[in-house]
Amino acid sequence: MRKTLSITFTFLFLVFSTMFVYAEDFNLTIPLPLTGTQAKFGDIQKRSYEIAQAEINAAGGIKGKKLVLTFEDSGAKPEIARGIVEKLIDVQKQPLIVGEYTSSCAKAVAAVSEERKTPYLVVVSGADDITQQNYKYVFRLNPPNAYYASGLIGFMKEVVKPKTIAILHESSDFGTSGADEMEKHAKALGMKVLMKEKYEKGAVDFKPILTKVKSMRPDVVYMVSYVMDAALLMRQIKELRLDAKLFAGGAAGFAIPEFVDNAKDASEYVVTSTLWSPQVKYAGAKAYADKYKRTYGDYPSYHGAAAYSALFVVKNALERAKTWKQDDIRDALKATKMQTAFGNVAFVDQNGYQNQNFLETLVLQVIKGNHETIWPKHTASAPYLYPIPRWKDRK
Amino acid sequence: MVQLEVFLQTLVSGLLLGGLYALIGLGMTLIMGVMKIINLAHGELMMVAMYIAYWLFTLLGIDPYLAVFIASPALFILGVLIQKYLITPVIKVESILPENQVILTVGIGMVLASLATVFFKSDYRSTPVDYASVTWYLTDYWANSPIELSISLLWAVSFFFSIMITIAMWFFLSRTDIGKSIRATSQDSDAAILMGINVNRMRSLSFGLGAAIVAAAGCLFIPLYYLYPALGGQFTLIAFVITILGGLGSNVGAIIGGLVLGVFESMTSTYIGMGWAPVGRFSIFIAALIFLPGGIASLLHRRRFGK
Repeated sequence: MRKTLSITFTFLFLVFSTMFVYAEDFNLTIPLPLTGTQAKFGDIQKRSYEIAQAEINAAGGIKGKKLVLTFEDSGAKPEIARGIVEKLIDVQKQPLIVGEYTSSCAKAVAAVSEERKTPYLVVVSGADDITQQNYKYVFRLNPPNAYYASGLIGFMKEVVKPKTIAILHESSDFGTSGADEMEKHAKALGMKVLMKEKYEKGAVDFKPILTKVKSMRPDVVYMVSYVMDAALLMRQIKELRLDAKLFAGGAAGFAIPEFVDNAKDASEYVVTSTLWSPQVKYAGAKAYADKYKRTYGDYPSYHGAAAYSALFVVKNALERAKTWKQDDIRDALKATKMQTAFGNVAFVDQNGYQNQNFLETLVLQVIKGNHETIWPKHTASAPYLYPIPRWKDRK
Repeated sequence: MVQLEVFLQTLVSGLLLGGLYALIGLGMTLIMGVMKIINLAHGELMMVAMYIAYWLFTLLGIDPYLAVFIASPALFILGVLIQKYLITPVIKVESILPENQVILTVGIGMVLASLATVFFKSDYRSTPVDYASVTWYLTDYWANSPIELSISLLWAVSFFFSIMITIAMWFFLSRTDIGKSIRATSQDSDAAILMGINVNRMRSLSFGLGAAIVAAAGCLFIPLYYLYPALGGQFTLIAFVITILGGLGSNVGAIIGGLVLGVFESMTSTYIGMGWAPVGRFSIFIAALIFLPGGIASLLHRRRFGK
């Protein structure tokens, strides 16, 4: 009899405690590419969301509610991302959407969110037009592609003073918009664009197109690529002894440690624009980067820092929102003004963008196998190396 | 002169790329020839071999080129097992789809790719060998050369091996008893059974061989590329195009097909645009299907017999 009673009590306790916890949880499902070719970046973000989640819950959650994250894999396919988000809004009644990575997916998600009047925080998707469509409910934490290179442009204008440029980019949304922007900037600086060519991601042999670049002798070779393409490009540039005054990469692929690991000595002197590095002086950045490195063995890229900070932006907005209804959350997001490990966050309407956060971008250079911040000067961790030696004279 | 340099360097790159493509396509061609099925898990088998090479390199420091001697036998066994326990039973089953073994290979490929994602995560991996950037330059040997050409060691090795493997395969198929039995099986399996050939064993053997060849391709390929679980698909496609272009089941056709494809892609990259290279690949594929249904092998055949 006693046994039955105790079992019953245990059972009741379990039932009520789960109900109790359930009522106190805030469930947030984040769509991310966790399989397929973009999974690497999806993983960096997932880990960073989880670090932020642990910190938020350790500090008492959001308005006393425990933040519970789940992740749904979109495989970087827009139609799948769209399906996930439709389900989140229509079935799970999630009042705001955070996440996704590739620009094509973010665009699909943005369209759904706007249609369902649900706020969507874009975390690291670059394509310019995501926040140029007069969407009311779409907010973006990272600066758009057009601004990724602003630091690099400054470096070129003041140090390199190039006359000609050749642009290579992958044929995705991200690559194309990055290349278009660089073309505009280059023309504005009075440079001649000798060539602007796209390639299919995952290509094996870049030598034909690099041979063509070599024959044009550009001052700057600018590439917009993800990491493994970036490493192959530099290795094959070295193989062909393609000399230029400056090899520059547009964010993403060139800015993460794997680039140096794979391109090895061919990566030396390459500069890249980036949104964030573990060396930045924003409060909390270093703590986050160290924590990430302790757990996963490597420093995170800006993708991780953005994801980590995104959750704090969400927390901040939810705490200020009048109710957790979609429109109130939207108004709270719009009024955001805070500091994060990713920089100062405020969503403004400016230069044709809506609800867009603007940040100062940095220039990194690979010096002795490490990414060092070289520009703008006030954040530099090492002096820049310029001019760079010809391939023939190296070693 | 600059234009000549561009053209020659493109041609060299194209031939080297073609050698690599041929190497990837050879195994599929062999399986196609004997079993009359397209093995659409081909790229995934290569991916498995590349993981073997990667772990041998990372954990034990074994050079990817030496890993051939471990990865190829391992994939041979895997190939035999796949043939024996998965494909043979499916061939026996009556179904509405005549090509259900082909669909089965798609499934096998998906399973392999998913398993790789589960076990090894989706990280990009590579084997940074010391000799990765060894390159020969024309101007180093001939200082006054008006043009500069370069050939990288890794690419040259993979090219050389694809020629060697083709020759070895040709020798094996035409000069040895087992090879003759395999060819007999591929020409007429009923007659082969009547002649006392163990057809099922020949099929297992050729699937195993096909897998072993693509394993060798993977080991040669990994130092100059990189590795991730979803890598298989695009190389299955390339192998498929080469198999069709070369003439189903012809080794010599496959290597010529590979070279043609490589040069064509490189020329497209240089003179039209690199974004067009995949378009070029599939236009050549469609052209081969329409104008040369027997592939390059049928051209060779016609020449030899004067018809």
